[in-house]
Amino acid sequence: MPKQILSFTVNDEPVETLVQPYVTLLDALREDLGLTGPKEGCGTGDCGACTVHVDGQPVASCLMLAMQARGRAVRTIEGLANAGVLHPLQDAFVRLGVPQCGFCIPGVLMAAAAVLAEHPRPTEEDIRYGIAGNLCRCTGYTKMVAAITEAAGSLT
Amino acid sequence: MSTVMKTTRDVRGVGLSIPRPDGPEKVTGHVQYVADIKLKGLLHAKLLRSPHAHARIVSIDVSRARALPGVRAVLTAADIPELKRKAPTRAHAVLAIDRVVFAGQPVAAVAADELSIAEEALDLIDVKYEVLPASVDPLQSLKPGAPPVADAGTEADASEALAHSAVAMAKSDDAPPKAVNVTQTANVKRGDVAKGFAESDVIVEKTYRVPMVHQGYLEPHAVLAEWDTTGQLTLWASTQGSFNTRAEVADVLGLEENRIKVIPVECGGGFGGKIRALCEPITALLARATRRPVRYVMTRREELEAGMPAPQVIIRLKTGAKRDGTLMALEAETVLESGAFSGTVLAVSSVFLGSLYKWPAFDIKGSEVLTHKPSVAAYRAPVAPQTIFAIDSQMEQMARALGVDSTDFRARHLSRPGDPMVNNQPWASNGAFEVLEKAAAHPMWKKRAEWKASGGNGHGLRGTGIALGGWLGGLQPTSATVKLNTDGTLAVLTGQVDIAGTNISLAQIAASAYGVDIEKVKITTGDTDVAPMTGLSAGSKTIYTVGVAVMQAAQDARRQTLEIAAGELEAAMQDLEIVDGRVVVRGMPDKGVTLASIGKKGNLYMSKVPPVIGVGHPAFTQQAPAFAAQLARIEVDPDTGEVKIHDFVIVQDVGHAINPLACEGQMQGGAVQSLGIALTEILDYDDQGRLRNPSLLDYRKLTAADLPNLETIIVEVPSPAGPFGARGVGEPPIIPAPAAIANAIEDATGCRLTEAPMTPEKIALAIAAR
Repeated sequence: MPKQILSFTVNDEPVETLVQPYVTLLDALREDLGLTGPKEGCGTGDCGACTVHVDGQPVASCLMLAMQARGRAVRTIEGLANAGVLHPLQDAFVRLGVPQCGFCIPGVLMAAAAVLAEHPRPTEEDIRYGIAGNLCRCTGYTKMVAAITEAAGSLT
Repeated sequence: MSTVMKTTRDVRGVGLSIPRPDGPEKVTGHVQYVADIKLKGLLHAKLLRSPHAHARIVSIDVSRARALPGVRAVLTAADIPELKRKAPTRAHAVLAIDRVVFAGQPVAAVAADELSIAEEALDLIDVKYEVLPASVDPLQSLKPGAPPVADAGTEADASEALAHSAVAMAKSDDAPPKAVNVTQTANVKRGDVAKGFAESDVIVEKTYRVPMVHQGYLEPHAVLAEWDTTGQLTLWASTQGSFNTRAEVADVLGLEENRIKVIPVECGGGFGGKIRALCEPITALLARATRRPVRYVMTRREELEAGMPAPQVIIRLKTGAKRDGTLMALEAETVLESGAFSGTVLAVSSVFLGSLYKWPAFDIKGSEVLTHKPSVAAYRAPVAPQTIFAIDSQMEQMARALGVDSTDFRARHLSRPGDPMVNNQPWASNGAFEVLEKAAAHPMWKKRAEWKASGGNGHGLRGTGIALGGWLGGLQPTSATVKLNTDGTLAVLTGQVDIAGTNISLAQIAASAYGVDIEKVKITTGDTDVAPMTGLSAGSKTIYTVGVAVMQAAQDARRQTLEIAAGELEAAMQDLEIVDGRVVVRGMPDKGVTLASIGKKGNLYMSKVPPVIGVGHPAFTQQAPAFAAQLARIEVDPDTGEVKIHDFVIVQDVGHAINPLACEGQMQGGAVQSLGIALTEILDYDDQGRLRNPSLLDYRKLTAADLPNLETIIVEVPSPAGPFGARGVGEPPIIPAPAAIANAIEDATGCRLTEAPMTPEKIALAIAAR
């Protein structure tokens, strides 16, 4: 199958690359663009480890074809920090000791950033349902919820 | 070491909640896992797996797959001279030889330029099977005449047991006529059980069942293998122990360990499932066949169908007591379903069934049985959650039948340090009683009657449950080094894989033992070529054992440092101390030398001062049991059977919290896995031995929306031999919840559930049958 040209914005940079039409956005990011922050935990949209933002909305990048991102703005975990300064969510995750194995963390942070965009003052329920699509096996979620709550406070 | 090590030095080290130093790398997505590593010329591997649980391989035709452009190698058992029959472990059974023994067993392997080509090649491999009857139900598989799983003459594998609990148990002396699939048996007895039951006023007999569950680590198994032109193999592995992986791969491939380097890449969760080698040997063989680096990453479906889950555990338990609450007798029969290869931890069940509480008479039989399912491995405190589900449920029911507070009943009969275990060894020092006492004093327990009474009237049925469980703690020799750098900073080197926040805790131990602030300490996990021999990150023993190695290495480095300083300062070593990065004469703060100057002289041209390098390489004999109690306050919807967890508390004895933040993280994460076993998780097999739920949609793990905030209460009963009194932390929190939830459900509904997961369906049916 001939490769196709994919033009889109990734982490605020215009990108043009050649991809197979059947490749997922996750594979294009990881294999073609070297952005390995988004993880493949299941490949079926059930674990959330591959969560990125497309035009500001959280999506499971393993369920989206790369070509569907044509002309759109994609943000990955690599683009959450601003010029080397950690996003308040990242900062709170570090300080509160959230990451253990760390594999789910890129996806959780992107989901959490979407929660805060929608609910600047989120309730615990907003947060818990907002990251319910992200499985974590290490933390039990308690410190995650605390860190997201704290980051929300620092952003408003 | 018989005395508790105390941190006497006024440094930032042990006891502080210091975030892990790799946090920023993890939150920015920069940490690399195996699947993130790319090498020049990298090939991608796929395995063709059997769709049948038990079948004879009539023929395999790989010619069409080999002819596909982009395919670089296709291997079957016929291509691997190292393969032997009677494989004792999954790692040895690289590819099926002429019989498959579980659905998902690899029969052929492909390496190709792209993953999609490798996938396409699998479709072109033609395997003809003759399907054979399968042993799927462990209780059927126990019987003589069941379809056999292992090749006749295969040895049972007890190495897993040694890694985890190191409890010596006698093998059964009166084993029943050996059924073909029974691979291990054990029987421990004391006293006259029949007499005990005859004199009992209350007897409870139930059979408890916990199905196979998956460890659920988010990162699937992954390995990258490359050979160089001299025949050296490098493996980038997601493993819980690089030295164990090296030894296993060397054994399977018939290589000297010196020809293998295992690089332990960041491990995206293991929980026991990444102790044993799984896909390392076949990946190495594909790399050898292609002379290219090969990466293999399991899919989630493969993980669920062909990972190494926890065994199914079935326990029939009968206990008796007198009306005054005196315990009389315990009788138990435990069946551990090991899947297609032997390797369960049979002894753990006997120890906790027979020795957690003081039974004057007991008779505990256990057997490991093979079935045509994927072989099992450890899962965080292997067999302990299932065992405590049985024994703690039993204690709760006996207390209810006797009309006493169940925490008083547990406390009254709890074995104390020095009491004999089932193997007649004395219980080591532990905080079981303190943990139980703390949990019983919690307002959630004190106010359980009010909570129950508040149920109904528009609410669901409300109840509170408590359970107590523990873990004996693994032991394994290990080693570490501590170097003094030329600027006075310290470099700690071990081979331990940090799966639990252990590196920061080890660095804290080095800081306190040497006498510098944590900011001056860097810790590195080395590969098997450079790191000193280090044991597994398993068995709740990283801090307990590697922590001692690091502490001894830091003390050794400190002694060397003071010795050099003593010469420089013309003072006696015992008069010296390390303060603010300087070695000074006690009471004379002006008389001193900096650590930097001592470090520099160890690397100075023509210097007579040797470099400071401390070494610790302890072996261990003394376990430090660690206990956790959990309290659950729940609400049950009487119509749907759905359980909502309102509040949850984890009380745990950690000995000494080296890093409280890391301890809390372990306690909370372990508790949620425990709740998953209790409520939702099951590898659900059909009667042909095929997995019915091979996705994370249908293998239901708990999410953030299913849970409340989890309260943690740390109890510190110092262990005699652990570093600064620490005990293992990782495993105890996964143990109590199945029992705590079952106890809470009974409190709420009056129904006793004995089979996990306690799904809404089971609960609703139990309520309807009241």
